[in-house]
Amino acid sequence: MSASQERALAAPAHAMAPLERAIHGILAGGIVLSVALMATGLVLGVAQGSGLPRGVVALGELPHALAALWPAAYLSLGLIVLIGTPFVRVVGSIVVFARERDRLYVLITAIVFLVMCLGVALGKV
Amino acid sequence: MAFLAGVFGSMLGVGGGIIMVPMLSLAFGVPIKVAIATSIVCVIATSTMAQTTFVSRGMTNIRLGMLLEVATTVGAVAGGVTAVLVDGRVLQFCFAAVLVYVAWQMSRRGGDVTPVRTGVLEAAYYDPAAGREIEYGVRRTGLGFILSLGAGNVSGLLGVGGGAFKVPIMNLLMGVPLKATIATSNLMIGVTAATGAAIFYGRGYMDPYYAVPAALGILAGARLGPRVAVRLSTRTLGIIFQVVLLVFAVMMILAALGLTP
Repeated sequence: MSASQERALAAPAHAMAPLERAIHGILAGGIVLSVALMATGLVLGVAQGSGLPRGVVALGELPHALAALWPAAYLSLGLIVLIGTPFVRVVGSIVVFARERDRLYVLITAIVFLVMCLGVALGKV
Repeated sequence: MAFLAGVFGSMLGVGGGIIMVPMLSLAFGVPIKVAIATSIVCVIATSTMAQTTFVSRGMTNIRLGMLLEVATTVGAVAGGVTAVLVDGRVLQFCFAAVLVYVAWQMSRRGGDVTPVRTGVLEAAYYDPAAGREIEYGVRRTGLGFILSLGAGNVSGLLGVGGGAFKVPIMNLLMGVPLKATIATSNLMIGVTAATGAAIFYGRGYMDPYYAVPAALGILAGARLGPRVAVRLSTRTLGIIFQVVLLVFAVMMILAALGLTP
């Protein structure tokens, strides 16, 4: 074992602050849910012999498509969860900053969230 | 390929759309809009997965990231305004020139910035390669914010996430050590990409046939990338970053000359 590896192993584990714990939890949760949904979609696709579908399911049709076990519906929802995770992360940060009474960062993070929503509404990338 | 993109992107704090979009389009014959949508999903996957490692190790300066996100998101949304004023090809040449200049500046410096305690957005992280805790403060916050506005604006125009700009702004200008810079940039690119991806999904350009396998590959790669990055010496990491910047510059020039889709 090299000296640098030994140092790495001896590294003190980082104690996460509440903000870091919240963000870590939200992101890890988003990944697990998204991968589970995509895996379900892939398994359904193989089971039904349809292969990977082309095109996503529109939001409005999603509930009935999920109930009908369309592979595309599960893959679409998996992608939606993945895309939505950073939005949830920003909202989660606002909550933690509010709990810590950090008004400046509640404001800053709220602006980020509003601009994200504005960007989606305006349809600009 | 997606696995490798995940490893590199998460190691360097960049999304890599500038390489991925032409590659998907040329090598796999993916329609350009679908290629962009796929690449944006990949950026989100890179950022989200890499952050589970960076945040749990205290590498990400979350407050700094949130502050600069205001600048990059506002800049990106305002991108359309600038598009009317400046020719896209001129911008692409300027972008390439800035990338080459930044790579040169980073190589001239050789090592990392010397961390200074400034009392502004101070943070500390443990660097396994150096074997010690690195404490630092942020310098020139105002100028960094203004340049981030510009970076967000240009990235909004050229359809690239702008990680390649965020890293030099934080590292060279604001005095944030390279590893903390990469982790923080990685957090920020997720926000811009999520906004873009939501729009592309709504317009029907998302194709699970490409997006799902790419996302799964990236997620696996981005689990490995940050673990490699924190162990590498800052010098090695810096050199890899400079090479990638030069590749980005070449891609931008090719795009400006109309040689890539």
